[in-house]
Amino acid sequence: MAEESQAMISLKDIVPAAQNNVNTMFILLDKSRIKTDGQNKSCLTLVADQTAAVHLQLWGDQCDAFEPGDILRLQNGIFSHQRNKWVLRTGKRGMIEKVGEFTMAFVETPNMSEIKWIPDPNNSKKYVQESVISPHSRIFPPIP
Amino acid sequence: MASELILLASYEAKNQLQLSLKKAFELLESKLRPPFPLTISNPEEYMHLNQAILYGVLCEPHKAKVHMKHLHAIVTDGYELFLSLLVKIVNELYLKLVDSAKNQLIWVTKEMVDVSAIGIDGLLVCLVRQVVGADFSEGNLWLCSELANLFLCKWDCLLEEEPLVMTSALYAYLRLLADHCRLSVDVKLDALKQLEIKFCVKLLREQFHLCLKIGRDLIRLLQDLVHVPEFKAIWKDLVLNPGKFRATGFLDISQLYRTRTSGCYFLLRITPEMETQLRFLLSCVKFGSQKRYQAWFAKKFLLRPGGEAVVVDIVRFICCSHHPSNEVIQSDIIPRWAVIGWLLTCCRKSYFEAVAKLALFYDWLFFDERVDNVMNIEPAMLLMVYSMPKYMKLTHSLLEFLLLLVDNYDLDRKSIIVRGVSSAFGTLVQKGVVCSMDVLTCCDVLSPFLRERLQNFLLGSNVGAPKDLQPVGVPADPMPLLSLPDMSIMVTPAASQKRKLQARGEMD
Repeated sequence: MAEESQAMISLKDIVPAAQNNVNTMFILLDKSRIKTDGQNKSCLTLVADQTAAVHLQLWGDQCDAFEPGDILRLQNGIFSHQRNKWVLRTGKRGMIEKVGEFTMAFVETPNMSEIKWIPDPNNSKKYVQESVISPHSRIFPPIP
Repeated sequence: MASELILLASYEAKNQLQLSLKKAFELLESKLRPPFPLTISNPEEYMHLNQAILYGVLCEPHKAKVHMKHLHAIVTDGYELFLSLLVKIVNELYLKLVDSAKNQLIWVTKEMVDVSAIGIDGLLVCLVRQVVGADFSEGNLWLCSELANLFLCKWDCLLEEEPLVMTSALYAYLRLLADHCRLSVDVKLDALKQLEIKFCVKLLREQFHLCLKIGRDLIRLLQDLVHVPEFKAIWKDLVLNPGKFRATGFLDISQLYRTRTSGCYFLLRITPEMETQLRFLLSCVKFGSQKRYQAWFAKKFLLRPGGEAVVVDIVRFICCSHHPSNEVIQSDIIPRWAVIGWLLTCCRKSYFEAVAKLALFYDWLFFDERVDNVMNIEPAMLLMVYSMPKYMKLTHSLLEFLLLLVDNYDLDRKSIIVRGVSSAFGTLVQKGVVCSMDVLTCCDVLSPFLRERLQNFLLGSNVGAPKDLQPVGVPADPMPLLSLPDMSIMVTPAASQKRKLQARGEMD
């Protein structure tokens, strides 16, 4: 697989897919409390770049590794449906790491997790945007 | 085996600088022992050899002397490349370096002082900037102490080769000392304080002609140290016996007032990381979208114990060292005055708020359009104007503070300050920062009492007239006066020193 050479995409261009193909960079804006379910830890976060925001699901020790203000690079991530929510995550084959702090511009709208995605009528393997549920995250509202 | 250069946190991306040095080291490791091959075929090879030797010095302490001999043997550029790599390491990686590499870094810096390497001034400045103000953690105090030792040990050499580095060190240590003296009676800190005092006093006493180059902020820093006996003695001589400093032409501290302090001094008390974040905030973040950035900055730098002590340094940095382009000024990027307004709210103790306000107005007091820059005084003016009417209290407290400074800052040199502040107001109008002073004098929401005082000041009628120093409870004032700032910071020790001595009959 030529995953290494895959170009970075902007968050506004991510589309749900059953593939680990999302290579992107963003800044972490907010983080919910870490949930522990048996041995598994998870934590929902809000991340954004200059084009859009999205919810990112962290797993295990990823939850403690990142703080708001961190600039993260996701390689081979996946944007998919998890418990009724559209979230970005590393999945089993992806990788996420901290590459910096603070110095990245962002927008909080649109939020790709707050969009109603439906299967493409012309291609059932693809998803298309049907409507905007909320212009920004309802879980992590913008700071007034 | 070479040890690691840096410690990475989990999920932290690898660092390119560290990788490039390590790669060069691994490539050339077999050639890093005697007999050294002394022919270097091309600049690329020279670069790799410098990288490899530097990595060796930092990661193989037991072989450091061998590596250093090697460097001395091959160097053809006055160590310029080697120094530029060191500067990169300090700026990019200092906090991540393993402890042994930090030790080696200080050692190799001393070696580079000894050979008068090209760029040693820049390296020393970078190292000084890594010392965090009012941070009493062991590692930070260690660096502070190592560098103070270095400046004292290499005194003659540095004075001869890089005298301006000594004034930079003086600026940094006077500022650090103020924070170190304000807190704690820790025995370990005591030793450091003595070292810092020794360095500062020696430079002030022996090389005052150099210290003069710092300009007016030297007075601001010395003012904060007047309670320390050694500095009290310096104040006494500054006021009563300026000739004692044997600096040709130095007759009075007003000469320092008249010298604007260069913007590079303010960088000395801002870490490179703080600088990067502040410059990003002030050049890329839109006004209205700054909240999250401010919260991150505050969490990292201001909310730690003692963190608010750096607000004064940041205010000076923003006023004097960060001058945005016209393009940025006309854009929707957050303006400097708004960031300063936010910083003032981060001060929980009134002392820190007062010194930050003094920092904000400091260039007003001595403003001279021939040497001063309107950009240094612009933030305070706009902060007063744009805080109305929503943050009326802030405008009120700033204006009141400025007028109190005019009356009290230096009673013996009041005419200089009256002239400075008048000229600051004049220049702000003339350069179009505000259309006219009516924005304040005709502003209904501003207390009539303050408006009147400002009006009187602007008309010049108050010069030389007796003043109510504490205008509390004036019936005409409908607005309750805010708590007065710490008066000690509003008065230079210059005047009080003289008065105290007069009272004791110690004057000649």
